[in-house]
Order: sequence, then structure tokens, then C-alpha cells
Amino acid sequence: MTTPIMTVSDLHKTYGKPGTKQYEALKGIDFDVQPGEFVGIMGASGSGKTTLLNMLATLDKPTSGEVTIHQQPITHLKGNQLADFRAKEIGFIFQDFNLLETMTAFENIALPLTLQNVASKKIKPAVEAVATQLGIAEFLNNYPNELSGGQKQRVAAAQALINEPAMLFGDEPTGALDSKSARELLDLFTKINQERAVSILLVTHDPFSASYCQRILFIKDGRIGQELHRGEQSRADFYQQILDNLGTFEQ
Amino acid sequence: MLTKLAMTGFKNRWRDYLVLFSGLIMSSAIFYMFEALATNQEFLKQNSSISMIGIIFQFGAVLLTIITLVYISYANSFLLSMRKRDYGLFMLVGARKGKIGQLIWLETLLVGISATIVGIILGTALTAGIGKLLINTLDLTLHHFAFWHTPAAIATLLLYVGLFLLAGLFNLITLTKTPALKLLHSNEQPNRPRLKPVRQLIEIILGLILVAIGYWAMANLALLNITGIGLALVTIVLGTYFLFNAIFVWLMLFLKRLSAGQRGLNGFTLSQLSFRIRNYTKMLSIVAMLFALALGAITVGMGFHAQTPLMANGNSAYDMGVVDANATEKRQIAKLKPVKKATYHFKADKKAVYYLASEFDQQPFTITEMTSQAQLDYHQKALKSAALSKSHDLYQLMQLQTSDRQRTAPVFLSATAYAKLPQKEQQLTIFATKDLMANLDGLKDLATLRQQRDKGIAKGLLGGRYGSYKLVNGMYSGLEFMGLFLGIAFLAMLASCLMFKILSGADADQHRYVMLDKIGATQKQRRQAINKEIAVLFVLPGIVGVIHVLFGLQMFKLMMIASPYSGIWLPFLIFAGLYLLYYLITINIYHRIVLR
Repeated sequence: MTTPIMTVSDLHKTYGKPGTKQYEALKGIDFDVQPGEFVGIMGASGSGKTTLLNMLATLDKPTSGEVTIHQQPITHLKGNQLADFRAKEIGFIFQDFNLLETMTAFENIALPLTLQNVASKKIKPAVEAVATQLGIAEFLNNYPNELSGGQKQRVAAAQALINEPAMLFGDEPTGALDSKSARELLDLFTKINQERAVSILLVTHDPFSASYCQRILFIKDGRIGQELHRGEQSRADFYQQILDNLGTFEQ
Repeated sequence: MLTKLAMTGFKNRWRDYLVLFSGLIMSSAIFYMFEALATNQEFLKQNSSISMIGIIFQFGAVLLTIITLVYISYANSFLLSMRKRDYGLFMLVGARKGKIGQLIWLETLLVGISATIVGIILGTALTAGIGKLLINTLDLTLHHFAFWHTPAAIATLLLYVGLFLLAGLFNLITLTKTPALKLLHSNEQPNRPRLKPVRQLIEIILGLILVAIGYWAMANLALLNITGIGLALVTIVLGTYFLFNAIFVWLMLFLKRLSAGQRGLNGFTLSQLSFRIRNYTKMLSIVAMLFALALGAITVGMGFHAQTPLMANGNSAYDMGVVDANATEKRQIAKLKPVKKATYHFKADKKAVYYLASEFDQQPFTITEMTSQAQLDYHQKALKSAALSKSHDLYQLMQLQTSDRQRTAPVFLSATAYAKLPQKEQQLTIFATKDLMANLDGLKDLATLRQQRDKGIAKGLLGGRYGSYKLVNGMYSGLEFMGLFLGIAFLAMLASCLMFKILSGADADQHRYVMLDKIGATQKQRRQAINKEIAVLFVLPGIVGVIHVLFGLQMFKLMMIASPYSGIWLPFLIFAGLYLLYYLITINIYHRIVLR
């Protein structure tokens, strides 16, 4: 067993101040992600899956518990440390693309590098390499509003990958895409997962997206209820298994 | 019910409305301040020796109206952008268009009129406050200055209500003609910054020609008269707009190519600027114009102020003369610590004032002698009786005599001839302090003492340097006051324009900075990005404004005796300080809105 890239231990999140009416969104979550693993988190609306992702991706702080990425505890990072961590160790892809509409695709992708003051000589080849891999090399000079949803999401993916992060987080990345673009994006995820050995953590409620993962954690009412492994199954079989599972899990 | 809903929308966004409201209040307050001078004909006539002043104010009013128009259209689009979503939502749930139209109209008018009324009240207070401050600190004498002037209030109210009626109509049409869905998703669309070399070249050439015509018109005001001012206003505003339009895009693209343009968030900042380029060029040309007007007015006001003692110094070497000084007057003179003092004995009849020549040979009388046509080129010369009696500047001694003898010529006699005169002997004490301006209070007290024995002084027949100072100050007070007052008013307008425009974009920026946070930009980097972006918006019109002023001061060569350029570092420095302060306030507010 290798050292996990990410460990999550006994994570709790409670909303509302003590004394007032409180709501416990996460009730103790434990799991690990191995290097190069493609993990999905599934659950119905309100199950706490987005809350969990926000904790893992340093966007929010848990009430108790710890998350480590690359053996580094991340829940207490602050200020510049936090910014540096985000810039170097993790990448995000969101449903609403999260691109700056004022900048071209090239500039958007390069932003994490320019933030680190990387020399412009090194930026250009890096951006071109990742853009070629993701098939968006020809759109580099376009602004986001000149691109289709699928293209935008690939630009966002390129931005997330440019710093060669240890973990890639996706929050319903296919949510705003048509089925063809969604399929292309998921194929892309599989490809970069295999070629770059990046660990991916995907939050989704869509069984089709989830079928691309190697392992799926089902979350319900703030707890991990069940875990599915794809193993040697074909994607279609795994998809069927997820559907069956959802049927029983949600009951 | 819908009215109630609209009111809740109002309450939820009170912070944004506060920005809108304070912007409108400032704008109408400043308009009132300007009108309080411009519509007060008595004040203008009494306080200025320049007949054109009334027309200059008319031009000013037109210009300010245009600026207000642009300002309100900005304010209105800000209001509209705040309400689009709400009204779109109302339409989705089935509100009738007529009802919504009524609401929009009502809301626009309500916001506009209430802001205008508060603005007029604030304007009155500001006029009174700034007026009093200027009068006291600068020792001005003004006639017919009134901080409440009904025609000014009416003019302000009429203009603003008129403009808001139009704005309401515009909003009504925009909102009711746009489909509900579009209202819900009305995000800003970026303008792709493109270089169109031919068009830009034409714009640059046109802009340069227009600005050159404007500068030429200002320098040749003697030739063009009042047309020159109108011509200069139009050409400079248009020329500045073309130049900003053409150069801005090019400048941003050029800076992006530099390696420094790609470091940290610089690229992001440049993209932000070019993204909003179309909105910004209009605003920047207006701000540059306001900047020039404010700085120019303050410079001219301070120029007149600085000129007063200079002219007084050129008129006489002595502050005052006292005949037969009594004990109190002697004490007052001693208190002023004169650097130059002389006492001459004399006897006088109706024809002449007779002095002892020997006394003038022992203590020569200092005259100031003009060396050129300009009243400020002079040197001082000490003359003995023989030279003094032949000098053109003998009048300077006459003016130091009592008020009834200001036209009586002095005659210098030998001791024997003097002794034969039957008249009673008197003595004239003349003195000069080190610095006239530093001793104004003491000199004023002495003049009051003298007035008890010499009633003629009250009629302005107070000779010497102090007397000329009083005279010149009376002449220039009005101009000085108008210059500084308008300067402050324009500065406030400029600041509120710039701050308002910048802050109205802050809302849209919020999500961009959140994204930057997620990507891993540090708080410091994000702060610096904001500081830089806003600095560009402050610096560019500042530079253009300074250039405009430097050329614009040519106009005042006609009115001012000293060069309008002498000592301009002081108003420029003061202005730079105020401008910096505005910048710091703006970035502070921006940080609060955008970074939380």
C-alpha cells in the first residue's frame, strides 16, 4: 500500500453558532485517496457533497477533523500559505467554468503561472503543451464568451492542470455541458488521469459522469454510506451497477 | 403588493443605493454651488472688473450641464443594472408590464428628486462653509455673496427633475421592451480590444488637431474674444475623447507585451482595463476636463492671491505714514518691529508741504521705481532731497501724508527758509515692516487708530504699501474667491464622478476576485491589482488635465499682471495632495467591496 495523496479523518461541519439552531452538514467523514486515483463522490442534493468538496479544496474550514494533502495538513492554512497551496498543489474545475471573461484563453490558462512570477519564456511552452494535450491549442487567443461550453470547460481544465497539481477537484464539471461535450470532457479526465497520474476527485450526482471513476463514495445525510469499486468491470457495467446502487441507496 | 416587493428590493440593496444616492447628492450639491455664483448677477457685477465674467459663467453652466447629463446617464445605468434582475423576476411571476413600468418610473423619480433636494440643502451648507472659510483665511472683501440663492435652487431642481424624467422614460422603455429572460441574465459582454490602425490613426490626428485648435484659441483670446472660450471648450473635450479612445487600446496591448505586463496579476489588470475600455474613455475625457478646470481655477485664484502683495510692494517702500503719532500709535508702530523707519518734520499750507532738505539728506527716502511696463518689475532706490524732488516717484511720499494732503506736493527747503515759515511744525513718521502679509493684523489696528483723527482714511485714502494692498485686495477678492470656490467645486465633482464610475464596476469585479482567490492569488497580490487598476484611471486623466491647464493658463495673461505661471507649484502640490487623498479613499472602499 502506497502513502495516500489525500487523507480525510473525522471531518465535521456544523453551520450556525452554538446556542442557536445548528445544522450539522457533515457528521464525520473518513477516507483516503491514493496517488493517481480517480474518485467520485455521489449524493442527492443536500447530502453534503459540495460542503465536503469545499473543505477538501480549502475553500471552507471544517468544524473539526483534519484533511492532509501530500502529508500536509490543510485545514489550518491561512493567508499566503493558503494562496501558495492553492496555486501549487490543487486545481479546480467548476460547473460554471470559473474563467475570467476579461482574458483570453491563453491568459486564463497562464494565470496560475504568472501569479507565481514564472518567466514568460517558460509560460508559453507550458500553456501550449497543456492546450495541445486538451485539444484547445487553436482557441488560445479567443475570449471565453467566444467559446462553446465544452471548450470553456477544457480551458478551465488546462488552467487547473498548468501547475501540475497533486489533486484535481471537479464540482459537477459536466453540469452545464451537452452530452457530447460531457463525454469528451470525461474522456479527457480519464486521459489526464492516466497520462499525468493526477489524482482526481469528482463531485457529481450524475451516474454517467460517475461511471468514469475507479471508486465511488456515496454520501447521505453527512456520512459516507457506501463505497463502490469499478475493479475490472467495463464502464457500461459499472454504470449499471451505479444505477442499481442508487436505486437502493436512495430508498 | 408589487410596490411592497419593490421596496424590499430597495432595502436589500441599500448599500448600492447608498453609493448611487451619495453620488447624485454630491452632483446636485455641486451644481447648486456653481449656480449660486453663476445666477447671482449682483455678485458677479460687484466683484469683478472683468465684463466677460458673466459670459464665462454661462459657458461654465453649459459645460456643467453636459457633465451632469453624462453623470446621470451613468447613475441611471447603474440603477438599471441593479434592478434588472428584480424586474425580470417580477415579469416571470406574471406582473403586468404597465404596472412594472409605473414602478420603474416612480422609483427613478423618487431616487432622483429626493437626492436633488438633499443635494440642494448640502450645496447651501457647502457654499456657506467654503465661502466663509475662503473669506476668512484669505482676507477677502465680497459684496452680495449669498449662500442661499433661490434662482440657483430652482435651476438645479429643474435640471435634475428634467433629467430624471428622461431617465425614467428611458428605463421604462428599456425594461419593458426587453424579454424577461434577457433581464435575468444581463451580464456584461466584453469588448474585444482590437487594433484598427487606420481608424486609430485618424482618431489620433483628429484629436491632436482639435486639441491644438483649443490650445491656440486659449492663447489668442485677445483676438477671438468670447468665441475663443466656447471654441476651446468644444475642441478640447472632443479632442481629448478621440485621443483617449485611440491611445488607450493601443497602450494596453503594448503594456501587455512587455515582460512586466505578464508578471503576477499585471496581465489581469491590463485585461480588466481594456475590457471596460469603452465605458472608460468617455469618463476619462470628462475627468481630464474637470481636472483641468479645477486645477486651473485654483491656480488662477491662488495666482490672484499671490499677486496682491506683489503689486502692493511695487507701489511703495513704506507700509504707512503717521502724522504726529500719539503714544498709542507709537507703541503700535514699535510692536510691528519696523525694519525701516524715518521721521521727518514739516510745515504745511494749502499749496505745499514743506520739509527740511537736510533731514532727507540724513535719512534718504526710499522709492520703488518701475523698470518696465509690467507693474511687477521694480527696484528700490534711496533718494536724497535733490534727487527726490525731481523724481517721478515723489507721489510715493505724498501718499504717506494725511488723507487731505494726498495731492499736496512736497517742497524741500533749507533750514533758514523753513524757519521763516509761520505754520505750526508737525512730524511724519514712516515705516516698513519686514513682511507686509505677516503684519496685516497689526497694520489694520494702526489704521483704525489713525482713522480716529483722520476720517479720510475710511474712504480708501490710506497711502503706502498697506493702502495699496487694501485697494488691490478689494479689486481681486471677487476673482480670487470665484477661482478657488469653483476649483473646489470642480474637484469635488471630479472626485465623485471618478469614484462613482469606478465603484459601480466593483460589483461586477467581486466574482473575478473570488476566482483569483481560488486560483491561488494572495491577498496582497489582489490588493495590488486593484491599486494598480485604479491608479491608471486616476493618473491618465491627471496627466492630460495638467497639460490642459498649462496651456489654459495662457488665457489669463490678459487679466493677470504677474505671469499666471509664476508659483504654480503650490496649487499643483495642494491639488496633487487632494487627488491622492481621493485615490486612497477610492481604493479603500474598493477593497472593502471586492475583497470583503
